[in-house]
Amino acid sequence: MTDPGGAVGSPLAGPGPGEPEVRWLRPSPLLLRARRIEVAAVTVPAAIIGGLAGQFASATAGIVIGVALVLAGLVAERILARRVASWGYAERNDDLMVRRGVLIRRLSVIPYGRMQFIDVTAGPLERSLGLATLRMHTAAAASDARIPGLDAAAAAALRDQLAALGEAQAAGL
Amino acid sequence: MTEPVAIGGPEGPLPGRTAPVVPAEPPRPRHNAGWHRLHPLSPLVRAGRRVMSLLAVLVGVAVLNQRQVGDLVGDLVVVAIALAGGFVSWLVTRWQIADGVLHVDTGLLRRDSRRFPLAQVQAVDVVQSGLARLLGLAELQLRVAGGDSARGGRLACLRLADAEQLRRQLLTLNIGPASGPSAPAAAMTISRQSLPDLAGQPARMLFRVRTPRLPVAILLTSAGATALVVVAGAWLSAQFIGPVGAIAPFLPVVAGVAAKLWRQFNGEYGTTVVAARDGIRLRSGLIETTAETIRPGRIQAVRLAEPLVWRAFGWCRLEIDVAGARQRGENRSEGQQLRAVIPVGTRAEADLLLGELMASPPLPAMPAPLRAWWKAPLSYHFLSWSTDDRYVVAARGRVCRKTTWVPLAKVQSVRWVQGPLQRRLGLATVHVDVAGRRVSAKIENRDSVEALQIVRSLPDLARAARSLDGQNPSTLTLPT
Repeated sequence: MTDPGGAVGSPLAGPGPGEPEVRWLRPSPLLLRARRIEVAAVTVPAAIIGGLAGQFASATAGIVIGVALVLAGLVAERILARRVASWGYAERNDDLMVRRGVLIRRLSVIPYGRMQFIDVTAGPLERSLGLATLRMHTAAAASDARIPGLDAAAAAALRDQLAALGEAQAAGL
Repeated sequence: MTEPVAIGGPEGPLPGRTAPVVPAEPPRPRHNAGWHRLHPLSPLVRAGRRVMSLLAVLVGVAVLNQRQVGDLVGDLVVVAIALAGGFVSWLVTRWQIADGVLHVDTGLLRRDSRRFPLAQVQAVDVVQSGLARLLGLAELQLRVAGGDSARGGRLACLRLADAEQLRRQLLTLNIGPASGPSAPAAAMTISRQSLPDLAGQPARMLFRVRTPRLPVAILLTSAGATALVVVAGAWLSAQFIGPVGAIAPFLPVVAGVAAKLWRQFNGEYGTTVVAARDGIRLRSGLIETTAETIRPGRIQAVRLAEPLVWRAFGWCRLEIDVAGARQRGENRSEGQQLRAVIPVGTRAEADLLLGELMASPPLPAMPAPLRAWWKAPLSYHFLSWSTDDRYVVAARGRVCRKTTWVPLAKVQSVRWVQGPLQRRLGLATVHVDVAGRRVSAKIENRDSVEALQIVRSLPDLARAARSLDGQNPSTLTLPT
């Protein structure tokens, strides 16, 4: 339990707003791999098709287009890597904190008692890597809190833990 | 792969989640004691405008084409089929109240049986469309939190007297502390006989809109300004290009603007607010009237809006937000509009009502830091916030000042958001989310360290306020 009036410490340290006494947990490193696969799945075919289409104009045009698309993919990979690194969540006594974002940084605080239900979803790619996304819903539509790229077992454990905490602290609307 | 996990508390989560459609229940005997039907004329009212306009078009076409009576019969069959569908739906719809739960069964091919635990009802409305008023009928709408469960919470239509009585009865059954885990259990055990008749309770008039002021005020908002621009545009082009061809393109726009203004006028005409034992009662409407009862402690947010021109007259608008969507005949923009308790009134009237809705609400007292001007030059002068042990209040807005109060006990989540420009300036915005439709108090452009402090302290304050409310649940002062 943190003291509400306590010192904030260095709020802007690290990639997101952090608090010294809060232990931030991060998504699995496999999340970055999943994002890289997604980028590659788009970039590689795009570069090949773009390069081949450029061949109709001239050989150099094809090469330039292909290289440009690959570079764009690499830039996207860097951006996604920073975004992946920005994710963090912390379980406090009475609420869950989730932070994310590079350009627009966000920090959400969701009291356990306000959680209405919790979703664990995993797409085909996430499933093949053994990952899952945890989503927490409150009665307010605006409060979106999700944690992507959790280890599937950890996600299920966290889900059950949050559900139990929510049950214990549930409050009416 | 989806694995939703519902969190059940003593009171349970959203009623929309706990009171879902219970499918395929074996049909019970038709004339079971306690089951009621809707009024036989309700299919006519429900089909209402649609059938009427269909009828008008068909008759109009028939008259224009000078067709034989035989052809007209064919058209009438179409209308009759439409009405017959409504009749069948009436025939298979029935409802009852048992054990503090409203049951509504409907559907011929797909049986649809819904339960609404009355303890979770956020508000009860009695709505009368123009046709329903002619026939002396009314529609009863229950508002429960949660998106699409709203659809089922209506009984259309009942006789007006029955609807009023049922509304009282429903509110009687779910009276009790609105928050706090033990509330529903207590409410359920109250038997109907033991309750005093609340019809004779003294009610205090809190506000009545001044009818001449309302149209003027509506025209002086941004909608009125739009209308002015459109009319001016039409007039100008008529002057320069020539009447007929010039005005035609404006007609749809004019119709749209006129419809919007009319809807607002129709909806807010004659608004009266009365404090009664079972909550705040709101009545309004010119042709379609709405009578709404909002239970104490169900208010998620209160917003005071002061548009530019209104401020010169000292007018303002007071809106409240409760969880749960309004349904009928409502498009998206209407759905996002809040219920106006005061469509237009003086600041003194608003202060009186604010004091009634909230126990000594704080005023926004802490302005944003000076450097916030670089981020929000147009709204900087309004940015401020404040909090006490029960409410958060935040003011913002460029032309129209909007002040939003949120009861701390209703806070669902708190978010800290910082955009790139804000980071340069060392600023951040705090969103305070509630279960209402779209209001979230935004504490904009605070010093980022202060914003972090707000984010950290608000959940704890909210928790404290919830336990405070549990001991003393009257956020709404009631006449004794």
